[in-house]
Amino acid sequence: MFQNRREGLALALPAAVFACVVFLVPVAILLSEGFRGAAGFSLTPYVEFFSSPLNRAVFLRTLKLGALVTLVAAVIGYAAAYAIVNLSPANRGRVFGLVVLPLMISPVARTYAWLVILGRTGFVNQALTLVGLTDEPIRFLFTETAVFIGLLQLFLPLMIISLISALENMPRDAVPAARVLGASWLQVFTRVILPLTKEGLVIGGTLVFTGSLTAYITPAILGGSKVLMLETLLYQRVTVANDFASAAVIAMILIVMSFSANLLLKRLARARGR
Amino acid sequence: MIRSTLLAATALACGTLAAQAADRTLTISVYGFAQDEFSEILYKPFEEQCGCEVVVETGNSVERLAKMEANREGPVIDMAVLSTHDALAANRAGLIDTIDTSKLSNYDKLYDIAKDPLGDGTAVGYTFYATSIVYRSDKVTVDSWADLFSDELKGQVAFPNVTTNQGPPALWMLGKAMGESDPTLAGAISEVGEKRDDVVTFYVRSSQLVQLMQQEEIWAAPIGRFAWKGFADMDLPIAWATPEEGQTGGMNVMVVTKGSSNRELALEFMDYWLSTPIQTALAEGLVDSPANAEVEVSPEVADNLTYGAETVDSLDLIPADVWLDNREGWLSDWNAKVGQ
Repeated sequence: MFQNRREGLALALPAAVFACVVFLVPVAILLSEGFRGAAGFSLTPYVEFFSSPLNRAVFLRTLKLGALVTLVAAVIGYAAAYAIVNLSPANRGRVFGLVVLPLMISPVARTYAWLVILGRTGFVNQALTLVGLTDEPIRFLFTETAVFIGLLQLFLPLMIISLISALENMPRDAVPAARVLGASWLQVFTRVILPLTKEGLVIGGTLVFTGSLTAYITPAILGGSKVLMLETLLYQRVTVANDFASAAVIAMILIVMSFSANLLLKRLARARGR
Repeated sequence: MIRSTLLAATALACGTLAAQAADRTLTISVYGFAQDEFSEILYKPFEEQCGCEVVVETGNSVERLAKMEANREGPVIDMAVLSTHDALAANRAGLIDTIDTSKLSNYDKLYDIAKDPLGDGTAVGYTFYATSIVYRSDKVTVDSWADLFSDELKGQVAFPNVTTNQGPPALWMLGKAMGESDPTLAGAISEVGEKRDDVVTFYVRSSQLVQLMQQEEIWAAPIGRFAWKGFADMDLPIAWATPEEGQTGGMNVMVVTKGSSNRELALEFMDYWLSTPIQTALAEGLVDSPANAEVEVSPEVADNLTYGAETVDSLDLIPADVWLDNREGWLSDWNAKVGQ
């Protein structure tokens, strides 16, 4: 490709310098706050953070919702992506456009729409009452359910796009071949589709999980302070208590969780591939 | 020859004027809301009067204090507006200076509680707001702060989060309704914690409440008077409670940064802001309730503001030192009892 390594490095240098100056250095400065004690380096802020029952509950809730959103997005995403890649090229383009469309709308607008849809007089409650599933309106807003729905809607397109890309690269005759050889649909999925599209799942899963961990607007609007997540707790620590040490601890936890999720998904993909 | 000399003289004069205007630059740090109105009513007319430039920085109080602290040695902000308790925090950190009120020709026109809210001459109040309860008058009646947790309002109330400017005042009054006046607000926070599941949400922005009221998610919520218009404009029977324990609220103040090189200009600007025409225009624009007692507005405008000596006198405000000294404790107590 390049005549020597220097040319490659020279081309990458501007982007590397930019990323270093505007991203890595500020992040490093911020995160270092979390390791600062009265006498230099200290893990005290981390110990203090995890010794609080509230913080532990918020950490577990964030982890649980992130994992749940990723899992459900993967299930729905596979079904949707498989259906889309099997459409005619013209229809595929149209449906793909519909999948991408929500990404072009502000998350604030999308989340506010859920305030109306999930309200006591909103569409969901009206539909449930109409079909006789409930007499009284169910309270969805400001619950974990609302945050889950909001996050799923927010990040599902990323999973579908990743899986469409992976499914398109899969040999077209792999599924028919497996079916001809007597595999059930479950076997087709676990033994053929999943191994051949695992890279897409890793990318989509990482994007959805990381997005769910770090989204602020959706948990803030649909969950409020009754459903505190790590990101809303971080905002609270900075804006109210001016406590940058706790904020740095939370930021570090979020980064570690994101990288861990990526590593875990890669490992799972490798294990399945063996 | 004459023409070229004239041109040169004109150019020189223009240059000197421009240099003078640039010399007189006032940097202020204010809240981000209603900046278009502030620009029209306050900043532009002041710039024309003083022949100077007003540079406006916006942000929340924490950002403002952090910036003032970071530039302690060479202040970049000349004048700032803060809540009373944040002004006290700036005062304790040595970031603000005594205000020479003899240079404020409008000082004597202010309501007494706005004249020296910190008690040491470092702040002057320019606006305040009442905090009480808005409620659906066709569904319930609210005569006391304790009614927020009545059986009638179970599952129909939004309460301000302790992190907002409305949170501590609402807890303060709830404590009074319970017969407590402990500045730790422990009793009130415990009460909210026990009734946590009866509260629809602990809101952060009052603008969100209008939609919740419209959707019948809530029937009542404590709010600042500045948010009243959104409710009053709704096609629903909404009332503003006058609880037997009284109304609470908050006050915003002006401060001058210690070491500012534009002190005189900052005082000139503050005096202009406190003047009767400007305070009247801000009131009529429903931007800020006046701290200047000479301001007179129509009953329609007054209805949307915290207006009049009687209203101002009746406000039961949390003292700034109580707020500042207990803020951390309120937050941890709240997180332990309500947040989980």
